[in-house]
Amino acid sequence: MKALEGKLALITGSGRGIGKATALRLASDGCDIIVNYFRRRETAEQTAEEIRRLGVNATVIKANVGDVAKIEEMFDTIAESFGYLDIFVSNAASGVGRPIMDIDAKAWDWTIDINARAFLLCAQRAATLMEGRNGKIVAISSLGSTFVWPTYTIVGVSKAAVEALTRYLAIEFIPRGISVNAVSASAVETEALKFYIKEGLMKETSQLTPVGRMVTPQDVANVVAWLCSDQSYMVRGQTIVVDGGTSVSPWLSGDVAKGDG
Amino acid sequence: MSVEEQVRDIVSRIAHVDKSIITREATFKEMKADSLDIVQALVAVEETFDIEIPDEEAQKFRNFGDFVDFVEKEAAKKG
Repeated sequence: MKALEGKLALITGSGRGIGKATALRLASDGCDIIVNYFRRRETAEQTAEEIRRLGVNATVIKANVGDVAKIEEMFDTIAESFGYLDIFVSNAASGVGRPIMDIDAKAWDWTIDINARAFLLCAQRAATLMEGRNGKIVAISSLGSTFVWPTYTIVGVSKAAVEALTRYLAIEFIPRGISVNAVSASAVETEALKFYIKEGLMKETSQLTPVGRMVTPQDVANVVAWLCSDQSYMVRGQTIVVDGGTSVSPWLSGDVAKGDG
Repeated sequence: MSVEEQVRDIVSRIAHVDKSIITREATFKEMKADSLDIVQALVAVEETFDIEIPDEEAQKFRNFGDFVDFVEKEAAKKG
C-alpha cells in the first residue's frame, strides 16, 4: 500500500509550477488530488490528466483565492463532493514587483490577499474537513521573507506573514491533530520566475547556488511530500528551506560543487 | 447593455478612469491602467462573461477596441 493511499489533498495553484510538481508527487504516493487553478483551465485539466495516469483521482476546481467568496465556494464544493480532506497545500501566489515608492494600497491588498490571507481562510476551512484524520497543512513560502530582492517587497512581506501564520496555526491546530509547516525555496525554475528575472540571471543564480544548480519544483515537492507523511510527525510550525545551501553560505558559488571551492 | 459597455464599465471601475477616456482607440497606457489594473480587469471580464482570456492573447491587445473584439468573439462562442 502506498504512503498516502485513500487520502485526499487540495493544492492551490496546482495547474503548473511548484503546485503541479507537488500534486504529481503526492499522487505518486497514492493520494487523490484536487487541482485548484485561477485562470488557465486547459493547463489545470492537463495536470489533472497527468495525475489520473498515476492511478489516482483528480478533480479540478477554479477559484481565485484572493476572493473570499470564491474560497468559500471552493470549500463548499469539497465539503459536498467529498466531506473530508487530509492534506492542504497553500501554494497559489501572485505578486506585484515594484520599488517601494511605487507600491499602492491596491498592489499591497492584491498580493497579501492571495498570498497570506488565503492561507488563513483556507486553513480554517480545511481544518473542519480534517477532523479525526491527522491532517497535514503545508504552505509554500520564499526566501524573500527573510532576504531582500529588488522589487520583491510585497511578496516578501506576504511570505513573512505566511511563515508567522504557520507557527501560530501549528500550535493552535495541535488539539485537532493537524500538523502545519512551510517550505521556503530560493528562486525556483518555473514559468513564474521568468516574469521576475531574465534568462542570463537564471544562469547566474544556478552558478551562485553552492550545490551548482537551481532549485526545481520537484525539489520543493519532495519536501512537501515528507511533511505530508508521518515521518515528520514531530516537526511543527517550521519553515524548511530548500535552496541548495544559498542562504547559509551566500558568499560561496556553485564552484564548490565542482570541487574548486 | 452591450458587451462593449459592460467591458468599459469594468475597466472604468478598476482603473479609476472616466468612461469618456475609454474609447475603442485608447491604449491601456492612455487609460493610465497599470499591469495590476489590466490583470484585475481581465479577471473581472472573465468572470462576468464566463470566458477565458489567455495572457498571450491579452498581450496582443493594442487598444480597448481589440480587448472588446476578443471578448465579443469569446462570449459569442458561449452563446
